[in-house]
Order: sequence, then C-alpha cells, then structure tokens
Amino acid sequence: MWLPIFGLLIGIALGLLTDIKISSEYANYLSIAILAALDTLVGGIRAHLQNIYDEKVFVTGFFFNIILAASLAFLGVHLGVDLYLAAVFAFGVRLFQNIAVIRRIILTKWSLFKEKAEKN
Amino acid sequence: MKIIKGRKVILSIVSLILGFMVAFSYNLTKQKQREAAIVNQTWDREYELRKQLIEQEKVNRKLSEELRKKQAQVTNIEKDLSQEKESLFKLAEEAEKYRMFLGKIKVRGPGLSVTLSDGTAAKVDDNINDYLVHEQHVFKVINELYISGAEAVAVNGQRLNHDSYIVCNGPVITVDGQQYPAPFVITAIGNTNVLEASLNLAGGVKDQLVNENIIFTILKQNEVEMEPIFSS
Repeated sequence: MWLPIFGLLIGIALGLLTDIKISSEYANYLSIAILAALDTLVGGIRAHLQNIYDEKVFVTGFFFNIILAASLAFLGVHLGVDLYLAAVFAFGVRLFQNIAVIRRIILTKWSLFKEKAEKN
Repeated sequence: MKIIKGRKVILSIVSLILGFMVAFSYNLTKQKQREAAIVNQTWDREYELRKQLIEQEKVNRKLSEELRKKQAQVTNIEKDLSQEKESLFKLAEEAEKYRMFLGKIKVRGPGLSVTLSDGTAAKVDDNINDYLVHEQHVFKVINELYISGAEAVAVNGQRLNHDSYIVCNGPVITVDGQQYPAPFVITAIGNTNVLEASLNLAGGVKDQLVNENIIFTILKQNEVEMEPIFSS
C-alpha cells in the first residue's frame, strides 16, 4: 500500500527539482498527457472497485493514452486544427463519469457497512 | 504474494511517472506565468513611459508654440522701437531745423549781404532827411528777402526772429533793443541767385532805394555765419 504513495512522492519531488526547460509549445502536450494519465488512473480505481481490474489493461492504457493524447495534440498543432480539444473533451467526460461511478460505489458500500453495524 | 508485490511495483512506477509529470507541469506553468507577468510588467512600464513621453512632447509643443509667439512679440516690439527711434531721429532733425529758423543756434550757409549807407547830399540846402537810411528802407529790404525765401536774416550781425522789432531812433536804428548806426549790413542766408534777382527787379527794392538816395550794395557770399539770438 505504501509503495505507490512513496513512488508518487518521489515523482513529485523529482518533478519539482528538475530544472529542464522545454519550450512552451511542448507544455501543452504535457498537460494533455497529464489529463490522460489522470483519466487512466481514475479508470483503474473504478475497475478495481468493480472487481474487473486488469493489470495489463491498466498499464498499457496508462502509457498508450499518454502517448496518444500527446501525439493527437502534436498532430493538431501541425494541421492547424485544435485537436487537443478533442482529447481534453474525451478525457474530461470520462474522468467525470468514472469519478461519479466511484462515488456511487463508495456510497453503496458505506450504506451497506452502516446497515451491518446497526444490525450488530 | 509475489504477484501482489509485482503489482505494487508497477503501480508505484505508474504513480511515480504521474507525480513527476504533474509536478513538472506545475513547475513549467508557474515559470511561464512568471515570465508572462514580467512581460506584462515591462509592457505596462513601457506604456507608462510612452504616455509620459507623449505628455512631455505635448507640453514641449505647447511651450515651443508659446516661444514662437513670444519671439514674434519681441520682433514686433523691436520693430516698433526702431520705428520710434527713426521717428525720434526725424523729430530731432525737425527740431534742429526749427531751431535754426528760430535762431536758437548758430547757422551757416550761402547767402548775400546788402549794405545800406546814407547818401551824400548833392546840394547844401537839401533836406538831410532825404539822404538818410530810415527804418522803412531796412524793412523793405528785409521783407523782400523774406519773401524771396531767405532762411535767416540779420541786421548788423543781429539775427531777426518772428517777434523782432526795428525802430528808427534818430541817426541809429534799434533792433530788438540794440542800437546800430549806419551803414546797415543786412545779411541773409538762402538761395543766393534768387535773393539777388528779387532785389534787382526793375522797379524793385533796389531801384526804389536808389531813388531815395541810398547807397545800395549787394555782395554775394559763399558762406554766411550767424550767431544765435540771445534772449534779452
């Protein structure tokens, strides 16, 4: 349980400490990639709560979504169409949906737990 | 147990990458914002300075316009001054001229002198009065000279002015209180030829005076000098 959180902290520290400068047009791709990563993460949590979690799907989805989102944005920039909006829209909608599902699952679990406690 | 461990490792790698990306992006955005803020600040500063410059230029233009106006005023004043000076100079010249006419200053110029001497009696029983120079003779000469354009007239060196008087007083005549005996020398300044011609007119002053037994001589002079009149 603690290992992923530790990894997260190390990642944040590394990100804050690195002083690499990339030009501002690539910062857009990075934002899209973060959105994709968040989406995949939330999706993974939902799958875990629904007991349909698959490690391979999660890991490949994580990296593949990141790369896809970044390349979509890249393509959009070069075609003159704001394609990154498509990525933002898709990932944003999915993110909200996943979070809503997670909330409902947690709510039902909590109410079940409460009923059990009252019975006892 | 092994599977769980492998899972956790993979999950931690995933979370590491996520954390790294989030932090890096956060850093980048913050940096960009700072740059944008700096750009904004410089832009604001530039705008402010530009505004000041424009304001300053406006003031400058106004001031230069004022300067131009003031310079025009100065030029006008100078012109006025020069005109005034000129007119003053003219006035001074005129005053000088009038002083000359009034006899306030010494005058000098071409002119002539007329000498009137008592005639000598041809016979013993003649009335001596018929041979003497009287004031009316002097008047005639002086009037003729003035009429002919004499600018200054003097009797025996005594200049005449507008209120001079000449009185016959026995053998002498009194000019403005000064007594002068014969012969009387009347000097005049003016156009010599005109003066002489007018005196020599047939039936004119000279003929009349000669008829009354007065010795009349005209002497043309290149330069006649007259002393100013001293107020008595």
